[in-house]
Amino acid sequence: MTEPNDFELLELATPYGLDAVSREERAEIERRVAAAPRPLAAAFEDEVRAVRETMAVVSAATAAEPPARLRAATLAAATSGDKRQLRWRAAALASAAAAVVVGAAAFGVGVLMRPHPPSTVAEQVLAAPDVHTVSRPLGNGTATVVFSRDRNAGVLVMNNVPPPSPGTVYQMWLMGAKGPTSAGTMGTAAVAPSTTATLTDLGSSTALAFTVEPGTGSSHPTGAILAELPLS
Amino acid sequence: MTRPPPPSNELDVLLRKVARRDAAAFAAVYDLTKSRVYGLVVRVLRDSSYSEETTQEVYLEVWRRASEYDSRKGSALAWMLTMAHHRAVDRVRAETASSARESRYITVSADPPRDLVAESVITGDERRRVIDCLDTLTDAQRQCIQLAYYDGMTYSEVSQRLSANLSTIKSRIRDALRGLRNCLEVP
Repeated sequence: MTEPNDFELLELATPYGLDAVSREERAEIERRVAAAPRPLAAAFEDEVRAVRETMAVVSAATAAEPPARLRAATLAAATSGDKRQLRWRAAALASAAAAVVVGAAAFGVGVLMRPHPPSTVAEQVLAAPDVHTVSRPLGNGTATVVFSRDRNAGVLVMNNVPPPSPGTVYQMWLMGAKGPTSAGTMGTAAVAPSTTATLTDLGSSTALAFTVEPGTGSSHPTGAILAELPLS
Repeated sequence: MTRPPPPSNELDVLLRKVARRDAAAFAAVYDLTKSRVYGLVVRVLRDSSYSEETTQEVYLEVWRRASEYDSRKGSALAWMLTMAHHRAVDRVRAETASSARESRYITVSADPPRDLVAESVITGDERRRVIDCLDTLTDAQRQCIQLAYYDGMTYSEVSQRLSANLSTIKSRIRDALRGLRNCLEVP
């Protein structure tokens, strides 16, 4: 049995599926669907599904490539649990010292989505009493490490560093008494006008060094050291 | 550059891995869908830095909520684009709530409906097919899609903007979607 009221609810399925309802209307519609007889609710959901599938196909007409830097920022933000990475990086562009201050403030308000977000490496480093910053030129750009010995971790920010040639990577090395230990690599795609990376387990290393390595990286540095940032 | 639509079962498999915190699968999901997600967001927000932030938020939501995705209820791409559209619309409405943005909003909304696709570089069969189907709609129907979907207006706002009564707008939106669905052969 379809009553006039039911028909009116079904009519709202299309605007609802398109997000063309206000927040209040949305809540009201959801309440009514939840209370509706099963076949009516199913018909409503089916129309919403069809609208969304249709618009998913239509999205081919609006497809546009995002800036390459968004990839590294998004992957880093997801895996570090840090949803404010973009804003933090933007702040980091000004200067490393300013980045620490502004970044710390941004982290302070960056908890809107989840009541208890896990503390990220970057947050821990920035909050550490012994936070240090060191910058060195790299290529035409700058590499900056913000690190904490207490937290045994650091955050690398690279600004305007040109990407390595195709087929090679930048490799980061923690230099210590026992020789260099790889701290990760960055391929052509990973290096954007502003790139961040997290460094964990600084150990007793005394510096962070950069080389260019072939392929996906090496077990020992084979290229010349392009920059060396003292971690002291 | 546009890829063909990502095969749904491939995304399904990847999202199941993302639900288990597989960063490589997450990167693959990003690569397969980024132009669709960012393209939709930037279409609604029309500001590249807001769009980058919103796109990042969408993917963080995908990362957090991958375990909730249920392939029986729809395709992975539709699931992701629903989140993307929802966030973009929330943002555009928050901004247009402040009067400073109102003039920009009106300018944008007054664009001819054709503008829906005019800025896109036309590449690929999929895009061609979509544009052909958009062309089968009436101007009035396309205008409704523009206002209600890409400009983030509610259907009540659309009816005020077009000085048409609510039931007219509701049926126009419904007819537009039905036309697109049939033309695109969406099951």
